[in-house]
Amino acid sequence: MPPRRDNDKFIQEDSDSDISIDDGVDVVKNVKGKGKATDAQRKRDKGKSKTKDTQAYTWEASYTRSWESVQEDEAGSLQSSVDDWMARGRRRRLLAPSTAIRRTIIRHLVLLLDLSSSMMDRDMRPTRFDLMLQYAREFIAEWFDQNPLGQIGVVGMRAGIGERIGEMSGNPQEVLKSIADRHKLEPTGEPSLQNSIEMARSSMSHLPTHSSREIVIIFGSLTTCDPGNIHETLDSCVRAKIRISVVALAAEMKICRDLCEKTGGQFGVALNEGHFRDLLFELVPPPAQQALTRPAGGAATGTRAANPSADLMMMGFPTRLPDTSPPSLCVCHSEIKSEGFLCPRCLAKVCDVPTDCDICGLMIVSSPHLARSYHHLFPVKAYEAVLSEDQIPPDAPKTCHACARPFLTAPTATHGGDGLSPLGRYRCPNCQNDFCSECDIFVHDVVHCCPGCGK
Amino acid sequence: MAPIPHTLIPFLQSQSQNTLTRLYQLPSSCLSIYRLLGPLERQLVMSLLWLESSVPPSVMAGWVIREGKQLYEGALSTLSRLHIISSPVGKLALNSTFKTSFRQAITGSGTSGSFGVPAEPDDKHPPLAVEGLDGYALERWETILHYMVSSGTGQSPTKPSTGVLYLLQRSGLMISHRGSPLQITSAGFQFLLHSPHDQLWDLLLQYLHMAEERKMDLVEVLSFLFMLSTMQLGREYSTENLGVSQKAMLEDLRDYGLIWQRRPTSKRFSPTRLATTLTSSSPPLPTAAGTSTGPQDGFIVLETNYRIYAYTDNPLKTAVLNLFVSLKYRFPNLVVGSITRDSVKKALNNGITADQIISYLISHAHPQMRKNNPLLPVTVQDQIRLWELERNRLKSAEGYLYTSFTSQADYELVLNYAKELDVVLWENKAKRCFFGSLHLLPITPALKDV
Amino acid sequence: MDDENGSHLSVVIDLSPAQWHSSAQPPPDNPYPLPLSIFLAQLLTFLNAHIASKHENTLAVFGAFPGKSVMLYSSTDPPPQTQVIDANSYPPFKLVDSTIVTRVMEEFDEQAEITDEAPNSLVSALAKALCYVNRVTLPTTTTSSKQAEGRDPTILPDPRILVLSVSPDLSTSYIPIMNAIFSAQKLKVTIDVCQVYGPESVFLQQAAHLTGGSYIFLERRDALLQYLIMSFLSPPSIRKILSVPTQDKIDFRAACFCHKNIVDIGFVCSVCLSIFCQPVPVCSTCRTKFPMKTLQRLNAARPMLPASTASPSRAASSAPQARPSTTPATPKTNGSSAAPPGGLPHSGTIGNGTARTASANESGV
Repeated sequence: MPPRRDNDKFIQEDSDSDISIDDGVDVVKNVKGKGKATDAQRKRDKGKSKTKDTQAYTWEASYTRSWESVQEDEAGSLQSSVDDWMARGRRRRLLAPSTAIRRTIIRHLVLLLDLSSSMMDRDMRPTRFDLMLQYAREFIAEWFDQNPLGQIGVVGMRAGIGERIGEMSGNPQEVLKSIADRHKLEPTGEPSLQNSIEMARSSMSHLPTHSSREIVIIFGSLTTCDPGNIHETLDSCVRAKIRISVVALAAEMKICRDLCEKTGGQFGVALNEGHFRDLLFELVPPPAQQALTRPAGGAATGTRAANPSADLMMMGFPTRLPDTSPPSLCVCHSEIKSEGFLCPRCLAKVCDVPTDCDICGLMIVSSPHLARSYHHLFPVKAYEAVLSEDQIPPDAPKTCHACARPFLTAPTATHGGDGLSPLGRYRCPNCQNDFCSECDIFVHDVVHCCPGCGK
Repeated sequence: MAPIPHTLIPFLQSQSQNTLTRLYQLPSSCLSIYRLLGPLERQLVMSLLWLESSVPPSVMAGWVIREGKQLYEGALSTLSRLHIISSPVGKLALNSTFKTSFRQAITGSGTSGSFGVPAEPDDKHPPLAVEGLDGYALERWETILHYMVSSGTGQSPTKPSTGVLYLLQRSGLMISHRGSPLQITSAGFQFLLHSPHDQLWDLLLQYLHMAEERKMDLVEVLSFLFMLSTMQLGREYSTENLGVSQKAMLEDLRDYGLIWQRRPTSKRFSPTRLATTLTSSSPPLPTAAGTSTGPQDGFIVLETNYRIYAYTDNPLKTAVLNLFVSLKYRFPNLVVGSITRDSVKKALNNGITADQIISYLISHAHPQMRKNNPLLPVTVQDQIRLWELERNRLKSAEGYLYTSFTSQADYELVLNYAKELDVVLWENKAKRCFFGSLHLLPITPALKDV
Repeated sequence: MDDENGSHLSVVIDLSPAQWHSSAQPPPDNPYPLPLSIFLAQLLTFLNAHIASKHENTLAVFGAFPGKSVMLYSSTDPPPQTQVIDANSYPPFKLVDSTIVTRVMEEFDEQAEITDEAPNSLVSALAKALCYVNRVTLPTTTTSSKQAEGRDPTILPDPRILVLSVSPDLSTSYIPIMNAIFSAQKLKVTIDVCQVYGPESVFLQQAAHLTGGSYIFLERRDALLQYLIMSFLSPPSIRKILSVPTQDKIDFRAACFCHKNIVDIGFVCSVCLSIFCQPVPVCSTCRTKFPMKTLQRLNAARPMLPASTASPSRAASSAPQARPSTTPATPKTNGSSAAPPGGLPHSGTIGNGTARTASANESGV
């Protein structure tokens, strides 16, 4: 039975995100108006949003008449208006600052699953437990897709103790297998946050300093049954720079919120099935790190931005042998196999990457694994909207430079503003080619490579 | 799952090697036949096309993945029956005529003129625009279908030309009882629910059969059809290079809406979309620019309560729906009806099957419906099938009742023998009788022995 | 074997004049000379074969010229009304052939005026092809009715991209190519690669491997057409029955960020995963400072890499060609990445690996 408080919580979350979007626009406007937003300014904006963070409830926000912004076109259809609305939304997202954000890409995560009897509640269909397992599987698959060098371990909270379900592993199949059998995970008893967090913390204590450590807790209970003072555990997590995020299924608990706030994680209460999924999947992309250490900042930022000790690692990029090559023994299992990867340093054959070479200890990764994250590092510069016909040189092509779709010949009335081009043209600041709005979105969201300049 | 070959392929396979070889002399025919082939056959033809020497079958088979062996064998036999590949045993090579012509088709060389000689531009009469052609083709085609659907309903729609009527009668789609006006047959009802593309080929196939009887040169007829299918929509072509049979065909094809001519005597003709899409499998047939207002191929919304909403003002579509839907209201662009037991029974009595109704509903479902999964409400689908099953409570089979056996041993001997032959449909031990089907004749001599 | 809707093929042609010039050189150096004209003729035949296979098949052709990429042909463009119809050829073939040839000639004429040699723009042509595939496979609501044409937009027309490359890998294009590969994976586009001339391409090998396509290094250039038809004509549905050649081995090497060398052992920043060919004190991408201790350790791990040995090789590799095999695959040891057939590959010693690491340091510019 989700209490009312819960609802309010969600709305607040929601309004938070609205504010942060507005914030982003503000920053961009500053960029436009004054040339360059200084770090300090950005910082101030950040601070502002922080203070708003704790106050802005929906009922305090100004009253918006969203329906008035929808207009029918000549034919009485809302389609153009809706399209316009969607285009605006997409565009706004693209206008977010495109500077390279440092992200921790080698991630280590422990997934803490609540296996207490409260998970058998049926307020989410079919049960909280089944839904959690289903989403956890999807989450793991998606997480490995985006964080190919990461590792996930799984810990369950059941009958007052923490239970190791899956060891830290970089192989999605292994992790999925650990939670594949629901009968082994049958919920029972009370959960213990402290026990299981301690277990997760200890399993990450040996990790090198350059990797991120995270705990994601899916928590359905409203109680926790702990042997000692959980705040001490919390402090030790802060010291170990472990980031804790909680997705609560029932209601907000003070301790859960504290865990997240003190460690710089995210906290959310799931309203319904879809919202649960959204909250969980928000944790998939690598968390951004502040590039500069600011010990003077707020307590939360201070802990988060503490300089992550970076390191340089030696890695080898293997050659893959096809399954038609002559069979030979692999060094990892000593089995005769045709396919495999050759360590570039000692030419040993291993079965799968990423791994450490068993012979020479070199870390072997497939370079596409690394490359998957590069678009975070070198984003395509945001295209500028062409605002008037004067900006189009007379000999400019009439079609999109990427997909050859013809441009609008005359500006439309409904478009414009919000960084939207009335002519549907978006120009790359680098190569000065014009692109249509679909390609603008596609290039920035998917391809991450400008078809004009090839960068 | 072997793909279903195009309807024309079996017809071509039944032709003599001589006919086919003559047909293969024309690049356009080669191209069109190539397009009618299945995807695997196409790849095989292409792989062999540019080889000068023949290939041992083992080399070619090396490309085939083990699971695809059966499909590959099937493709080879199809090709050899079409005489495109010389023989399935021995070395693999394309028929040399086919090879030469198809190479010409692909590279655009040769002097056969088989892709149609364009007419000189005529300043006085510019060619009919694509919209005009589409309208013409649609009107012609719908006239035929509408005539079929409304025969026997008491309405008197425009009659298609006598040639068309003859063809419909010949093909068994319509039948005339002793001089009475033509009546649609159950085959005709089934025909109506096919896709336009299948309908067109069904008719053309009948036309080809008829052409054989009319002593027309089959190669000329076929090659003219193939030529049409490679022509450009909205262009005019000259009739001068056509053969005798081909000139005779002009009139028939005009009636079907495949080509357009300003006057019957005109020296030029334009193919319509019906003709130019002959060799494509999912054509936007009788044209998007019709009289209907809704989206072209999806206009039916079916609800779980058996109600059907058809966004159309096309009388033909309404008439086709009327075959199995009891229509309730008509609005300018919407027809509302419901599927009832009686309406489906009526359709079943006409020889339409439940599967045909369902596939018609699926292929004409409104885009909104396409979001559903499954597309049609399961209840309605099941019910339509159940209604069909209702009709099939009795199954009739011809045969003999064997009875009055004198002893149990006799009875069992005969019964066991009959069971071996798999002809026993029913048996009753207590009454010492069984019913055997007619299919296997040898049972009679066997009985004599007894 | 669903074959209802035809398939889409985007062809990216590498039209680097210098490479084509050397490709046309007579036999002594070049056993199978292939001038551009013959290549184009065979390619056009292949394109015709694609259009011939299905009325609904669509085609787009992109040309990658030095510093510029151009769409040469797209079947969604309305054909010009002025097209002359020839009774001897199928009009769509004629249209494809003439459009492509004219456009290529135009572009070469334009190129002739530009003197400075820009790097080849294969990547941008590839990105364009992806944008185009995105456009044809996902018709949006706002586009004109021409695209809708009664076709169910949820059914993809089975898109493929065929890259015909003649240039060596351009190591600066490593990241963009990888990004293109991942977006192709997202769009479920198969990338086929045919390396018509020049050395094996590490990046394109990876592209074909990661998207489930097929990579062919053309040895008998005189048999180009047969290669094209046997390997690249069949849509993915047919490839479940008729196999297409796959790569014998795939090189998973990457290009370093600092000197754009193609390396097999690199040094990776733990924060942003940038690859460097030698230990650096500060990450050039995310400005992370690396601890001194690590640098010393890593430098010590490369004992066979005194600075002096690096300089001669650097001079040697000052040739402009950034060949992917700058790693001097020392032939006497089994250092070449191909495992000796039959021999157990892991019997290789650790020692010769470090010699290869040294090579990563060369061509410092």
